[in-house]
Amino acid sequence: MKRSFFRTREFTIFVAIVVMFIFFGVFSERFLTSNNIKNIFLQMSAVGVASIGMTLIIVTGGIDVSAGSIVGIVAAIIGKLILLKFPVYLAVLFGIIGGTLLGSVNGALVSYLGIPPIIVTLGMMSFLRSIVYNILGGKWISTLPESIRWIGVGTILKIPVPVFILFLLLVYFTYFTRFRMTGRYIYAVGNNVEASIVSGVPVRKILFMVYTIGGFLYAIACLIILGRAGVIQTNTGSGFELQVIAATVLGGTSVLGGKGTVIGSFLGSLFVAVLSNGLIIMNVPALMEGLIIGGLILGSVVIDILRTRGEA
Amino acid sequence: MNLLATNRSFFLFIILILIFIIFAVFIPEFASIYNILNMSKYGVEIGLLAFAETLIIISGGGGIDLSVGAILSLSSMTIGVLIGRKGMNPFLASIIGLLVGGGCGAANGALVSFLRIPPLIVTLSTMYIYDALALLIAVDEWGNPMPVSNFPESFFFLGQKTYFEIPFQVIFIFIPITLLLYYLSSKTVFGRRLFAVGNNEIVAKFSGISVKKVRFSVYTMGGFLSGLAGLIMISRIASARPDLGANLNLQAITIAVLGGTDIMGGSGSIIGTILAVLVITELYNGLQLAGISTIWQMGTLGLILVGSAIANILIARKFGENR
Repeated sequence: MKRSFFRTREFTIFVAIVVMFIFFGVFSERFLTSNNIKNIFLQMSAVGVASIGMTLIIVTGGIDVSAGSIVGIVAAIIGKLILLKFPVYLAVLFGIIGGTLLGSVNGALVSYLGIPPIIVTLGMMSFLRSIVYNILGGKWISTLPESIRWIGVGTILKIPVPVFILFLLLVYFTYFTRFRMTGRYIYAVGNNVEASIVSGVPVRKILFMVYTIGGFLYAIACLIILGRAGVIQTNTGSGFELQVIAATVLGGTSVLGGKGTVIGSFLGSLFVAVLSNGLIIMNVPALMEGLIIGGLILGSVVIDILRTRGEA
Repeated sequence: MNLLATNRSFFLFIILILIFIIFAVFIPEFASIYNILNMSKYGVEIGLLAFAETLIIISGGGGIDLSVGAILSLSSMTIGVLIGRKGMNPFLASIIGLLVGGGCGAANGALVSFLRIPPLIVTLSTMYIYDALALLIAVDEWGNPMPVSNFPESFFFLGQKTYFEIPFQVIFIFIPITLLLYYLSSKTVFGRRLFAVGNNEIVAKFSGISVKKVRFSVYTMGGFLSGLAGLIMISRIASARPDLGANLNLQAITIAVLGGTDIMGGSGSIIGTILAVLVITELYNGLQLAGISTIWQMGTLGLILVGSAIANILIARKFGENR
């Protein structure tokens, strides 16, 4: 049953990324510079962090379209508290707590009330976006203190902070989903709910947990977005959920549940970032980007289906 | 009381009446014939998209369409460019726009049914693709995507003309389509097949139903309906923009689900969806008349969606449904 490494989705997408690197590198000398590669990783970091949470959620057979609105609300909370002269660390802390709590509300509605995830998170998405508008009143906040910008533009050990955070989370969640019992339960729930219940997997707790982790990680992603952009708008995070879902499914996480890895989603996010960066460097009009990204997501899935067709 | 638990449409009908009474009491102009007829036209476009989602979600297999808004944008922009920049006959241009919509839907349907890619992935990708195409064709001679708004007067009857105060698109497009879809889904062989496929794909296949054909046709119909919504929208607002459909996908899904369409497929009804469209339209209108910021429209939509799901489950638990 176990697929060989060369037939995994992770491998396919890794090869695709390498091919793109070579392709763009040959066509433009500006692509393979250390500065540009650093940029690519910076560009993908927010989506990468959020896609870890999305992966866990989709593996359980769920989906979360409220990710972008949670990013928006965390930004609004932080911005508002900073305007109210709260110290930055407190504002950030409240933002993270807010995001985590909202994730846990999603989790509670999905797990304890049994409402389908798409409905819960659709509802949350619209509701939270309204709240964001209300908190900010349609205004921008662009006077963010330097200390919050550090999360986006600073460095730790010469590594940019967002990339550092991303790798830290990546390592932890890879360990968590492979070697911790709770992590394995996530896959059990996604593969077969009935069987999981019978074998004593705490299905409700697991579901509650993944949405809560999701909320926490969206809050972290929001910090990265704020740090990089340096401005809070009412539409901060809008459309973010689809980017994250795209990166996650591109990385091989099955929307039917039970299948997918955190590393795959990381590669999915990297793939999109390399592509959009390369297209800009090659002076492809920005308008074409959606066309190419959409086509490639479809293409990669079709290739994957053709490669694995016939396997059990 | 049991009817409330088992019959989603009845539940929505009660909500519809309740909201109506509340608004009518507090806002004098709300219950006027003029207002009711006038607000009806705002429900048309989102209603057509919600019908598209209803059919697609019923067909099961993870059926969902995230690209309806993008199809709307692409069809609108096609029609806009053909009429406004190429000077094509509006009638012909509209037909082409509808065909573009149908074609986009058919592409979704082919990918979902013949290549067996999960609908969420298909429509997420085609959403990006159709949106990008809409932007690309909107590019004017100076290289920027621009809206088109120089339509001839004759084009506006679709979205602006009224008969006895009733908007044209309500009597001549929306009501006939509602009746047609109602008939199609509940009185024809196709309708029975649609529900059979959504309920249990394998059983449907063994009963000799072509699952692929059924799914392919609902995505195609969804495309047509989205294109039609685009046509009506540009005629009503007298302008075609490449971002007209942005944010409409999730609203349309919300309304379909609010109308009782089961996200897992196999159950749902046109009547439920039309009631949900009415509830949402009346709510938006009432909030607007009450002077509540339009920002809250989205918020209440979300609250109602989650609220009605919770209410449904609590009622079902209380009255001991077997779930």
